[in-house]
Amino acid sequence: MSKKINVTVKRQDEQNSGSRWEKFSLDYESGMNVTTLLQRIAANPVTVDAGESTPVAYDACCLEEVCGACSMIINGRVRQACSALVDNLLQDRPDQITLEPMTKFPVVRDLLVDRSFMFNGLKKVRAWVPVDGYFDRGPGPKMSPHQQEDQYPLTECMTCGCCVEACPQINDRSSFIGPHAISQAILFNEHPVGQFEEGERMKAITGVGGIGDCGNAQNCVKVCPKNIPLTRSIAKAGKMATKFVFRNFFGT
Amino acid sequence: MASERVVVVGGGLAGLAASMRLAEAGVSVDLISMVPVKRSHSVCAQGGINSVNTATRELGDSEYLHLDDTVYGGAFLQHQPPVKEMCDWGPRIIDLMDRLGVAFNRTNEGNRDQRRFGGTMYKRTAFAGATTGQQLLYALDEQCRRWEVDGLIRKHEYWEFLGPILDDNGVCRGVVAQDMFRMDIRAFPADAVVMANGGCGLIYGRSTMSLICTGGAAGRCFKAGVKYANGEFIQVHPTAVPGTDKLRLMSESARGEGGRVWVPKKPHDDRDPMSIPEGERYYFLEERYPKYGNLVPRDIATREIFDVCVNQKLSVEQDRLCVYLDLTHLPSSTHKKLEGILAIYEKFQATDPRVKPMKIFPAVHYSMGGLWCDYEKNEQTGGLVLGSPRNHQSNVPGLFVIGEADYQYHGGNRLGANSLLSCIFTGMIVAPSVESYMAALRTRASDMPTSMFDQEQARHKTHCDALISGNGDENPYHIHDELGDSMTRNVTVVRYNKNIEQTLAKIDELDERYKRIRLSDKGNWTNQNLSFSRALGDMLVLARVIARGAMQRDECRGAHYKPDFAITAPDADDPATLRQQAIKWCDAFQASNDQWLKSTVCGYRPDGDHEFGYEEVDTSLVPARPRTYGLKGAEIIEEVWNERMKKKSTESAADTQAVANA
Amino acid sequence: MAVETAQKQSFSERHHFLLRRLHSLSGIVPVGVFLIMHLTINASINVSPEMFEENVGKIHALGPLLVPVEIVGIFLPILFHALFGFQIWFSGQPNTTAYAYNGNIRYTLQRVTGGIAFIFILYHLWHMHWLGNPLGGGHFDPHPGQAAITTAQAMQMSVWRIPVNILYAIGVLAAVYHFANGIWTSLITWGITVGPSSQRVSGVACIMFGIALSIVGLSSIRAFATMDVSEPGSSTHVDRVDSSETIHTQAG
Repeated sequence: MSKKINVTVKRQDEQNSGSRWEKFSLDYESGMNVTTLLQRIAANPVTVDAGESTPVAYDACCLEEVCGACSMIINGRVRQACSALVDNLLQDRPDQITLEPMTKFPVVRDLLVDRSFMFNGLKKVRAWVPVDGYFDRGPGPKMSPHQQEDQYPLTECMTCGCCVEACPQINDRSSFIGPHAISQAILFNEHPVGQFEEGERMKAITGVGGIGDCGNAQNCVKVCPKNIPLTRSIAKAGKMATKFVFRNFFGT
Repeated sequence: MASERVVVVGGGLAGLAASMRLAEAGVSVDLISMVPVKRSHSVCAQGGINSVNTATRELGDSEYLHLDDTVYGGAFLQHQPPVKEMCDWGPRIIDLMDRLGVAFNRTNEGNRDQRRFGGTMYKRTAFAGATTGQQLLYALDEQCRRWEVDGLIRKHEYWEFLGPILDDNGVCRGVVAQDMFRMDIRAFPADAVVMANGGCGLIYGRSTMSLICTGGAAGRCFKAGVKYANGEFIQVHPTAVPGTDKLRLMSESARGEGGRVWVPKKPHDDRDPMSIPEGERYYFLEERYPKYGNLVPRDIATREIFDVCVNQKLSVEQDRLCVYLDLTHLPSSTHKKLEGILAIYEKFQATDPRVKPMKIFPAVHYSMGGLWCDYEKNEQTGGLVLGSPRNHQSNVPGLFVIGEADYQYHGGNRLGANSLLSCIFTGMIVAPSVESYMAALRTRASDMPTSMFDQEQARHKTHCDALISGNGDENPYHIHDELGDSMTRNVTVVRYNKNIEQTLAKIDELDERYKRIRLSDKGNWTNQNLSFSRALGDMLVLARVIARGAMQRDECRGAHYKPDFAITAPDADDPATLRQQAIKWCDAFQASNDQWLKSTVCGYRPDGDHEFGYEEVDTSLVPARPRTYGLKGAEIIEEVWNERMKKKSTESAADTQAVANA
Repeated sequence: MAVETAQKQSFSERHHFLLRRLHSLSGIVPVGVFLIMHLTINASINVSPEMFEENVGKIHALGPLLVPVEIVGIFLPILFHALFGFQIWFSGQPNTTAYAYNGNIRYTLQRVTGGIAFIFILYHLWHMHWLGNPLGGGHFDPHPGQAAITTAQAMQMSVWRIPVNILYAIGVLAAVYHFANGIWTSLITWGITVGPSSQRVSGVACIMFGIALSIVGLSSIRAFATMDVSEPGSSTHVDRVDSSETIHTQAG
């Protein structure tokens, strides 16, 4: 019953400090997930070799994979800590579980990173429906079930950062805005009212860091915890960008 | 105009709706949230949002019936004018969300589709798959981002609210908050403060709520003098999946779309559920409530599941309490509409709920009670006077409360899919109230001496330092576990005074131990240990409000169920005796209403001996009536009650006539 | 990453999208088209040396126009495609170790094969093209009667015979992979294949095309490598110094 799990956590005290590894040994319990491990560490932050430590800082909120907070690198691969079940992780690698912060965002502390980059991307592509106001103006546009089915998966994006983390085109030497922002731009470009601002969005999409910077590695769609068809959005963005540039070149 | 500033605390549906409405009116908003607002707990709402719609109207539905279902579901404990206003706004709010781009499911003609939810006979609930809360929140998040780009909304994400700032006259002039990364403590002067801080499920340890739903902000307002009402009304959702870190909700929409709850008639039958023949299954909700079936309101469904597992000992598993929630008979098109929750179940339980019934059990889910706030009734319509500064203002002038954080709208039990409506609705209507309040303000926050803000800032800094430097022997996480255990055991579905007493004693003990806590992180950078421990102190305060409220309320109403005070249901075989029993039942019900149809309103006392008072409930639109939901065998109660009401109305008509004649 | 766009944008920033699209286009037209022509003409050696020389003659029939056509139509596009390609390569951060998905491996290979192909082209130019003459290369003589035999001799030079053949095989395969995969990604980039199923179909088509073109390319290497270079009537002495001029005058 007293089966132990080895958990190795990459720790970093502050934004600019170096990192170190700490090992924790925790009691196994069936049905555990990685957030439970972190809660257990918080309650009793004692490492295997160095003794008393501090609780590991991490982001987590809903614990059911709809809020997007708890993305981190678990056993070398980015995913949500809440849905990373310990039993599955131990099956892949029985000796230990390794937790690291995502590498594409500035680390605030330990596993907690600052994802402002992603929210800024949403501002750049103007990811919203430009309604007149919030007074009663009747219902929204009618939509076919088919259209809704296209739209719905894209609306599930929780800005978790998995796509950004896995994208080889996002790093210090590039200004790629990221798959999530492109997908949101497409969502609103395809909305009956959202499309009124398509031009504005396409300016961002065809600018520096826009669709041109996608390298078609297609990791985004593989790591997305919500199975959002990101590569479809990217291809659509390519198509819209082609049309947009031609229209701008030949029109007016 | 430009100098008016409002602080909104909390970025869930209510906080975002309020912020965007205020920004639209040209008011600058400081939006303070512990998490990026897009990660607020509203994302966890699954099933949908209620309103009367063109389809239900054809079948006889109306805003009035929505009101009726809501107050009947809430055991009549809510003031009816705000509920009426909310139900009237329902269709407009859905329209607005539709315009904002929410991906509501569609009919073949392109209209919004609706499903049925608990506590109603109408398909009122608009939905976006099984992630409606997420979709609604994102739409509001997007609008607020738009205002952020325009400069009217300033977001302060990863900032934790520490308390309101009250001036010498007790008027709220802003808030103090702490940067959760840098740990800087700062005062935010404001002409009005809107609290949209959500629920407090973490008091129960594990619940369906997010980690941020500590009740910390509510506790801090309470300690600053805001009254707390109906704390004892905590909704326990009938269908959740137990987990080591949280209890994951399985939406009521699963039943709304045809899901059935059952247990094998043979206790702990270890056969594969799919092989158990229909005749050996006990569909207890359907059998007991033929009219509403699996869609009885949550408090009833929860109690029935409890009863089946605990009293009838029919739990599916021997060492764990659970019942089946079965969706296997539904077509794949229906499974598709429920994809969001099915994926959660599959991911966390490693079983496909499309081919095998889910195992579920009730879990703490929502706080009907909350910070007290006012309203102004419109005598003509029976609803609210829109734009009245009283709407949603607490007893502290300048401090408004909305969303799950307030105590209005849901009374003793909330109907499924009404919370998304109440959150957006309160966000929408609080904006004009805040505006009127500010227009009448003679002095602004900017006129206040800076020393007042500095003092408050310093006070919180001292408190924070004291927590960090505490060097006792108590672990805050263990205290939290014990609090959660005791609250869950004694102050949830079935409540006995002697058990609640135990919990109150436990809270006393934990309070003492809390004074001796020692943080394992004494640093001054992104100290989550501090944030949690501070919230724990507030949880203890609110836990006492909840437990004391429950202790004092000797009756059964909605989610608050005390078997010792339950009125025995008529069960005689002989019709005459049965009728006698029903008459007695109605008398007892009447007496109970006379004594308890009132809201608990609690004021803070530093010694923990909080002041409990009671407030009459405005039931001017729908008089209270027995809440049987067509329970088999309880028809006689309704019969007797209806006769009594009829008689009463003829009598009063006669009285009026007599008065008129005289 | 995430650096807000400065007020002044450089030329490449202002024309970011167009340059990317030009890069995509240049890989297909003219560079890719040239690759197909080049490899199929070479493969005509499998029919007969005369056939090969006839095809070579057709190209060289351009006479004085050949050099400008070569520069504008081939050298500059390759140079642009390569240099811009290197910039793209270095703005990415391959991560196939953590995310060993097919798409990601394709992405990394696309960059590596581009690099190999470019180095090979430089070698190939030295080895065969008259531009290599001053450096002791330029073994190919396009004259009728010389073209086939000089190519074969160049491929069979003394001790270098095996390494040269291997190098050619690698170079050709790299170029073909880069081209075939480039077609696949460009179909996405231009928004022609949007959904996963169409991308799968185009993927199969590109693989088949790549295999076919590889066979074509490798078959000519094999043919030249095994051709009997001491055939009667063929000279082993090549007048390298003025070969190009002679060709021009002859063609004119």
